[in-house]
Amino acid sequence: MSNLLSYFKSSIGKKQIVAVTGLMLILFIVGHLAGNLIFYLGPEAFNKYAKKLSDLRPGFYVVEFGLLVVFVVHMTLTASIVLENIKSRTVNYNVKKSSNQRSLSTRLMPFTGTILIAFVVWHLLDFTFTDKHGDASVLQDGMSYGLYGVVYNAFTDPIHSGLYIIAMFSLGFHLNHGIQSFAQTFGFSSPTYTPLIKNISQWTAIVITLSFSSIPVYVLIQFLSS
Amino acid sequence: MLDSKIPEGPMKDKWTNHKSKIKLVNPANKRKYHVIVVGTGLAGSAAAATLSELGYNVKVFCIQDSPRRAHSIAAQGGINAAKNYPNDGDSIHRLFYDTVKGGDYRSREANVHRLAEVSNNIIDQCVAQGVPFAREYAGYLDNRSFGGAQVSRTFYARGQTGQQLLLGAYSALMKEVGKGAIDLHTRCEVLDIVVVKGVARGIVVRNLLTGEVTSHSADAVILATGGYSNAFYLSTNAKACNVTASWRAHKRGALLANPCYTQIHPTCIPVHGDYQSKLTLMSESLRNDGRVWVPKQAKDDRSPKDIPENERDYYLERKYPSFGNLVPRDLASRNAKYVCDDGFGVGATGEAVYLDFADAINRLGKDVIKARYGNLFEMYDRITNSSPYQDPMMIYPALHYTMGGLWVDYNLMSNLPGLFVLGEANFSDHGANRLGASALMQGLADGYFIIPYTIGDYLAQNPSGQIDANLPEFKESEQKIKDKTQKILKIEGKKTVDDFHRELGKLLWNNCGMSRNEKGLKEALEKIPEIRDEFSKNVNVPGSDADLNQALERAGRVSDFLEFGETLIYDALHRKESCGGHFREESQTEEGEALRDDDNFAYVAAWQYQGVGKIPNLIKEPLTFEEVPLSQRSYK
Amino acid sequence: MKNTIELTLKVWRQKISEDKGKFETYEVKDIDTSMSFLEMLDVLNEKLTLEGDEPIAFDHDCREGVCGMCGAIVNGEAHGPQKATTLCQLHMRKFKNKDTVVIEPWRAKGFPVIKDLVVDRGSFDRIIAAGGYISVKTGSAPEANNQPIKHENAELAFDAAACIGCGACVAACPNASAMLFTSAKISHLNLLPQGQLEAKERVVQMVEKMDEEGFGNCSNEYECEAACPKEISVSNIARMNREYRDAKFSV
Repeated sequence: MSNLLSYFKSSIGKKQIVAVTGLMLILFIVGHLAGNLIFYLGPEAFNKYAKKLSDLRPGFYVVEFGLLVVFVVHMTLTASIVLENIKSRTVNYNVKKSSNQRSLSTRLMPFTGTILIAFVVWHLLDFTFTDKHGDASVLQDGMSYGLYGVVYNAFTDPIHSGLYIIAMFSLGFHLNHGIQSFAQTFGFSSPTYTPLIKNISQWTAIVITLSFSSIPVYVLIQFLSS
Repeated sequence: MLDSKIPEGPMKDKWTNHKSKIKLVNPANKRKYHVIVVGTGLAGSAAAATLSELGYNVKVFCIQDSPRRAHSIAAQGGINAAKNYPNDGDSIHRLFYDTVKGGDYRSREANVHRLAEVSNNIIDQCVAQGVPFAREYAGYLDNRSFGGAQVSRTFYARGQTGQQLLLGAYSALMKEVGKGAIDLHTRCEVLDIVVVKGVARGIVVRNLLTGEVTSHSADAVILATGGYSNAFYLSTNAKACNVTASWRAHKRGALLANPCYTQIHPTCIPVHGDYQSKLTLMSESLRNDGRVWVPKQAKDDRSPKDIPENERDYYLERKYPSFGNLVPRDLASRNAKYVCDDGFGVGATGEAVYLDFADAINRLGKDVIKARYGNLFEMYDRITNSSPYQDPMMIYPALHYTMGGLWVDYNLMSNLPGLFVLGEANFSDHGANRLGASALMQGLADGYFIIPYTIGDYLAQNPSGQIDANLPEFKESEQKIKDKTQKILKIEGKKTVDDFHRELGKLLWNNCGMSRNEKGLKEALEKIPEIRDEFSKNVNVPGSDADLNQALERAGRVSDFLEFGETLIYDALHRKESCGGHFREESQTEEGEALRDDDNFAYVAAWQYQGVGKIPNLIKEPLTFEEVPLSQRSYK
Repeated sequence: MKNTIELTLKVWRQKISEDKGKFETYEVKDIDTSMSFLEMLDVLNEKLTLEGDEPIAFDHDCREGVCGMCGAIVNGEAHGPQKATTLCQLHMRKFKNKDTVVIEPWRAKGFPVIKDLVVDRGSFDRIIAAGGYISVKTGSAPEANNQPIKHENAELAFDAAACIGCGACVAACPNASAMLFTSAKISHLNLLPQGQLEAKERVVQMVEKMDEEGFGNCSNEYECEAACPKEISVSNIARMNREYRDAKFSV
């Protein structure tokens, strides 16, 4: 038991838990994205999908709670690691140059992480804890389109869309570092696989970012051309 | 007469017989015996780890911030052993024979034979520790021929053999430290050996961070403090290498043997300017493919590429057609000096010769050369900003190793009972010239496989412990050290410590370097006291003795070099023959080669201290050669 | 032939650990570009000494890039601007006339400053003492060639064993983490058959000692690898991560 306890306290143990929870969050994101893409099939399909999900409740609450725990663990362990890292260098350098080794994604990690926390809160308020049949769901034809309408209306606002897209790019950068890091932290490293893993994480990040971002872009284009 | 305590019996049985006869310490009693080890190079780390494993109570001191930094780490080439893995005819006898001959018949046969005997155990031990020696594709250990040897008996770890062996010994040491079995003191410098009633009983050290001076008593003291090449200021040794522990032991009565035997390595990067702080060695292996030459015309300042083939003098190939560029270190060095003295030297200072790889690159291709010497070429480029792939390297000899050191008997004990000396700090195994890849072998042999037996023999004959570090001998020594420190700090003169060190170094290099003559040596004997005298009046050592003060550390070491240098010269002056690294111009063959005088000089010259500036007393240990018949070396 | 430059040096001066310390500015002239960086500091120190000031304390020993004693942050880079080069092997031709050069000690909780540019790296020794060895007593080793070792593993082990323990990895890491150092020793020993018996205890004990010494966590930024004068690969860290996990979850 003390063996496991010390694992959770150790630098490597903590990192590996952050990595595992990160991987779980990625799986969630992929699932979420698949759902989002139903948006392209129109209001009926999209709302039906949303309803199906909420019909799974209360059982689905367990899943959602699990997700919340994963997210909180990912976040708080990272925060504790960051705090430890700050303590490990009490006096900072006057001049510090970064090597070219450090990719942009890596450098941006503290920022993309923070943006994503803010985004998650905003996003939940925006699309989850909101009246899905109120004014916000009413489109130009005066009819309520449920969640589809809420999303559509939100994205017709360029500022709203812009913020969303920024968040999705943050996600992309975060994932690019995160997926490679997962491999490194779990010890999957070899001269043959490491470059491959780098490619996979880059492309996963790009595909996820662009797919998520495509919806507000699609809405904006449609809205402006109508 | 000195008793070297060489065991009776035939050469090949001496060590075995000795081991079976020596006295043993009861396992339960070992913990009661305290042993101090000074220095954590190959010999010191190996000895400390092994003695601790045996159960002795061990205290270790080193001058650096970590035992892993000792200068053994810089050895590049390899370590010899008589494994005969290549099946090319090597044997313990052959390794023994080559080492005695290579030492120009000035080493003690029995010691060298023992060294060859334990050489194989060293390889086994190091491999078990995880030392990553080079391996063939089949996974077995690889060997190469080194320094002109006729068999391939050198084990190597890329160009970092010393580093890997030291890290192995260091890991063994740290294993014991981790268990709490060894008490390790880093950043401590030994400033005195305490002798009570004729027996070495402990040391006095200065903590380099706090300046605190403390005494440590023990049942035996082991010095493994390396060589004294830095007496010459510019050498390939690390900056902290010094003679202080040896010299202060000498001042307490330990004899100093053959100090004039110094080794000058032929392939080093030449001096660039006055600011130069040390010289860098380029592995001897470069001479396997590089050709040494100078222009035929003196003071030729053309670029080497513009000098046509027929205007180049490949002087080693010309003078030694059968060995060519692979002649032993002393010959290669001396001949470089001759051509430079005659004005044929190249480079900005005229003190360099070319080592040219153009032929080898044409013959074998750049890739092969890169695979063999890539690291060395990069290192050369980094330092000189010139690529040996394009232009020939420039090299010049530099002080590299010292064969002389504190006198020890067969048990590695000095003439002071209880004081043992290992590795480069002692004198016994290399005679007047050390062969390549033999230094690592000796350091580890002493530490792993010899001292653990011989120190037991000594300790078993003496009651353990109860030596009080508060004895007046310790307190007096502490006070003397503190007084000396205060005196140095108060001089506040106009020259830095390095100014004096450079001056001494230049004098020793010019008058007692690659070749020596009576006139030059006598001149040095006049000048050294003058430098020493000025040092005591005009050195400037800033700061205090209560914290880290690197100038103060250096001042102590240089003041010892200034005293030691004189003894080195006395030794060189008295040895009127040439042998190995000691070339007396008065003693040479008609062809200008070193001429030994076995009738008059086949002995170890052990010097007894008589006071600063006083002529030391010479005590001789005659050398007899039963197994290896005396003969003149020839490399024609 | 001779090329000389002049520089403005901003050097961290700190009398003892407990002091706050500050930067001092020095002008150095006539610096021959074929000098090494440490020789340049020697020249400055000689000048300071004769002017009655205390010279700058800095660690150094072999001055040929293998002992691992030297090191400082030069203009924000561990061991200065040249790749795969220790400070002692860095030469002044890498600087331009009138450059300002900022010189700072390694900064990490695990490496407290002793004086000026000198830091205490005793933590590295303690990490090694926690398990960076194979417990073979002198005399008990078997015949060396009894156990052939796969050439590839021997080479990988060597690459890791080339670590000189200088601490540049810690100094360069944004988190002052010692994972490259620790993992290099673990890789060196665990890749070899001789090291297998103690492999699990080794990784656990060394990692836990590393944590205890106050080094930061690895966030996979690989600044360590870029700063390492011996080009030790971060794949060693991956190997350590894996072996630590396996050791902790094995029954």
